[in-house]
Amino acid sequence: MERFIVELVVANHCGVLNRITSLYAKRKYNIDSLTVHETRDPTLSVMRIVSCGDSSIQQQMARQLRKLFDVKTVVLLNNSTL
Amino acid sequence: MKKSGAAIVIEALCRNGADTVFGYPGGAVLPIYDELYQNTHRINHVLCAHEQNAAHAADGYARVTGKPGVVIATSGPGATNLVTGIANAYLDSVPLVAITGNVAVPLLGRDSFQEVDITGITQEIVKHNFAVSDVKDLNGILDAAFKIASSGRPGPVLVDIPKSIQTDVCEESQYTLQELFFNDLPELDLTETLSLISSAERPLIYSGGGVVSAGASYELLTLAKRISAPVTFSMMGLTALPADEPLNLGMCGMHGTGSSANVFSKCDLVIALGVRFSDRATGNTAKYKEGKKIIHVDIDCAEINKNTSADVELCGNVKTVLQQLLQKLPRTAHPEWEKECAEAKKLDDLPMSDKLVPVTLLRKVASHCSADTVVATDVGQHQMWTMQYFPFRTPRTLLTSGGLGTMGFGLGAAIGGCIANDRKPTVLFTGDGSFGMSLHELATAVSQKLPLVIVIFNNGVLGMVRQWQTMFYQKHYSHTTLNRKTDFVALAKAFGADGRKITCLSELENALQKLPVDTPLVLDCQLDMDEFVLPMIPPGGSVKDLITQRN
Ligand SMILES: Cc1ncc(C[n+]2csc(CCOP(=O)(O)OP(=O)(O)O)c2C)c(N)n1
Ligand SMILES: [Mg+2]
Repeated sequence: MERFIVELVVANHCGVLNRITSLYAKRKYNIDSLTVHETRDPTLSVMRIVSCGDSSIQQQMARQLRKLFDVKTVVLLNNSTL
Repeated sequence: MKKSGAAIVIEALCRNGADTVFGYPGGAVLPIYDELYQNTHRINHVLCAHEQNAAHAADGYARVTGKPGVVIATSGPGATNLVTGIANAYLDSVPLVAITGNVAVPLLGRDSFQEVDITGITQEIVKHNFAVSDVKDLNGILDAAFKIASSGRPGPVLVDIPKSIQTDVCEESQYTLQELFFNDLPELDLTETLSLISSAERPLIYSGGGVVSAGASYELLTLAKRISAPVTFSMMGLTALPADEPLNLGMCGMHGTGSSANVFSKCDLVIALGVRFSDRATGNTAKYKEGKKIIHVDIDCAEINKNTSADVELCGNVKTVLQQLLQKLPRTAHPEWEKECAEAKKLDDLPMSDKLVPVTLLRKVASHCSADTVVATDVGQHQMWTMQYFPFRTPRTLLTSGGLGTMGFGLGAAIGGCIANDRKPTVLFTGDGSFGMSLHELATAVSQKLPLVIVIFNNGVLGMVRQWQTMFYQKHYSHTTLNRKTDFVALAKAFGADGRKITCLSELENALQKLPVDTPLVLDCQLDMDEFVLPMIPPGGSVKDLITQRN
């Protein structure tokens, strides 16, 4: 099990954080830490979510997140990309 | 000219081709219903008896037509009644647009009368949902809802519109555009696919709902013939090829055909098209892949490597992928394999009996259907028997709850499917348990004058659960014997429908001599409570554990 980060650019309106975290909950993955902040463009926020999982879990999570319509981009950061 | 939110809803429905909608009125959607009142020439609203069934009707309508079904419900209980219907559409990837009213904006967030947070409640069972907070956004949001529901992998979208937004007005020039961002599908590289197929000796195609929704039956059959590969189906994919096609081995999985299990255990390559490797279709996933390569084609990249790991992944629309593949794929013959598969298929043929049993019942009804007759089912043994014995001939003629397994789905779906199919005679195969969950919707079938043939497999039990109790719980028949005294014939008549009690095949033949024209017909078919659905792969098992006979 490897620690990995997903970095998301998401729409900045109410309910978006909820959509992201409940996707983790639904897929039964734990979030170890989480930061969110508004970007210079006030319609967007950046989220960084740290969790643990092997490469198939990482790929699965990134792909599930990409399906959310409030998520603009998903970047997966792990030992091999950092 | 200024338009109200409610008028914007009607315009958006018409613009997006929603000429038929299903629903139920209430306080929080009064402005929308007032517009429907003035637009009956453009939109046919079907009033149902319960919002859940209205959602299933919209779902059935969508499965038949391929375009999004629309359901409208009021706030609070109206909205929560939709939940099962939305989840059902989500798990079967059916395009659905659900419109709910909510309390006026100033009352939101205060536990007002009939206020629920329906976008929060449905979040995990929709592709996306919107809570409209400004009438200027409404037009763009509704267009986006239709776009999202029907694009890529289809699914449900909910739009929650507070009552005050329905009465707020704005100019067309003030409409905001809802920006939609779709991820591009990756470029297709077919090199590995071609080499895997050319080195395979015993290829098998596993085809699913994606093939039906992409309309790729022709490409599927061309592929199968080109490489001598038999085809097995997930339940959602069953109608893609006609039952009498020699390469069609029927459904695979827990209650799939013996031939599909047999051929699966011997194949060396699985070409999976528009499927998600559900546990009901694969059994034990750890054993599933033994000795096989898998090529997985799906429009939803997140399905690839979710339940099984693929050796080659092709993310894209099945039809497009197959078209490209077929341009490059040479003909390869596997005569031995083809013969082996044909032999296996022969063993599936069941001898007809002269008794009223599930197989004869289904074949008899089928003999009175045409190729395009829409068939709906509920959930249980009768559903599995329908998959095994009803000879489907045309894509989009089967309405069944696959992913959610929703008892009570059938009647609503049959109503929606019948309306979608020009109100031609439509068949529902249901169980006495399932029918009990939605039978009040007979009222709608009567008021809409729908020629439904409702075939109740009346075995007096929750048969599917009872079968598991027989096989795995030492015949502890805990709460699966119904002990009801419901007279379904009298019940049908009380609703204004026709009803017949059927105890033997000749009574069934008589009853089917004249199919109904404008009145639902309920056939209460008396069946034995101890029939089994076989073959069966026990839960968690693999094709090697196939049970073919009762012991
Ligand atoms: C809403 C719902 N509740 C419970 C179940 C569990 N369940 C699956 S099949 C079944 C029995 C169905 O009985 P019936 O409709 O009479 O069909 P039969 O199996 O007898 O043909 C039950 C209770 C379900 N699938 N859906
Ligand atoms: Mg029953």
